Amino acid sequence: MYRYTLLTSITNRATGIVLSAGLILLVYWLVAIASGASAYHHARAVLSLGVLKAIYVILLATFSYHLFAGVRHLIWDTGAGLERAQSKRSAAFVVIASLLLFVGLAWWALHAGGHAP
Amino acid sequence: MAQFRLPANSRIRKGTIHRAPAGARKVRTFRIYRFDPTSGENPRVDTFELDLAGCGPMVLDALIQIKGTLDSSLTFRRSCREGICGSCAMNIDGINRLACTTAMEDLGGGDVRIYPLPHMPVIKDLVPDLTNFYAQYASVKPWLVAETPPPPDRERLQSKPEQEKIDRPAACILCACCSTACPSYWWNSDRFLGPAALLAAYRWIIDSRDEATGERLDALEDPFRLYRCHTIMNCTDVCPKDLNPAKAIAEIKRMLVERQS
Repeated sequence: MYRYTLLTSITNRATGIVLSAGLILLVYWLVAIASGASAYHHARAVLSLGVLKAIYVILLATFSYHLFAGVRHLIWDTGAGLERAQSKRSAAFVVIASLLLFVGLAWWALHAGGHAP
Repeated sequence: MAQFRLPANSRIRKGTIHRAPAGARKVRTFRIYRFDPTSGENPRVDTFELDLAGCGPMVLDALIQIKGTLDSSLTFRRSCREGICGSCAMNIDGINRLACTTAMEDLGGGDVRIYPLPHMPVIKDLVPDLTNFYAQYASVKPWLVAETPPPPDRERLQSKPEQEKIDRPAACILCACCSTACPSYWWNSDRFLGPAALLAAYRWIIDSRDEATGERLDALEDPFRLYRCHTIMNCTDVCPKDLNPAKAIAEIKRMLVERQS
């Protein structure tokens, strides 16, 4: 029988690891900016590859979850929200809110935004 | 290197099947972890088809019935059968709980799977070795420490609000459901005190009569003893007495931060 506690906790850790790995892309982009115009144009071409777009979608999903789960932990650290019923409710909130944020961000990035960096 | 498989001598084999007698009307199947260290054999999971006619409603009733009628070698701890001694804590259908306060009816329809408390050395069958767990409890000095002598003519009195603070934490029965549900405790039980011992520590830290609050906090200010808690919340979720070790630990962490400023 699965406990929601185990799932929310391990997902927070997994998304944290994925996000850390995703930072490599951000660092690459920033280094390219700092290295001048030709390096940036090259990086822009690389970062616009279709394969990477799939990775951006994954990163948006992990970011959305990790953000809300992290805030939940911050609130817990103040000593609030630790009763059993409260924890169940906040777990449901984190899952729903992160799904909504992910859908919103993904829609914005892929349609409204239109362009890779 | 992380270990992902159980050691070769701990892997679980298929066990024996005890069929229900012909004519049994109310049969429920139990899959129970068996281990006998003296046999030299690996653990196994035995299947018992128990006729519940004439058996009490709780999982503990079924275990006693199985021991009495199907296999007298089945070994488990039990004493009070009313959730106050904490002896019959075990993993029932994936959740740590007391066999005596868990009604079979509440377990859904399928087979009832019974294992010892997770990630503890097993003495026999459903009996875990709790030596380390008790030693950790003792290490938080679960008794009143006071320099001031008590009044000569009466007890050390507390106000009602002062008593209410320790009311719930003091209701812990040390069944170990919480600590053995905690992944941090599974992986660091040699250095992390675990939710039960920390709840006990908290109960004495906030006791208005105790005068060793500073020393108690000093003893917990350690990256492992206290801070291996990552607020996974399994402890609070499984506690059969509805206590809240996670909140107690968060409060201890908060007190440690507050006394720095």
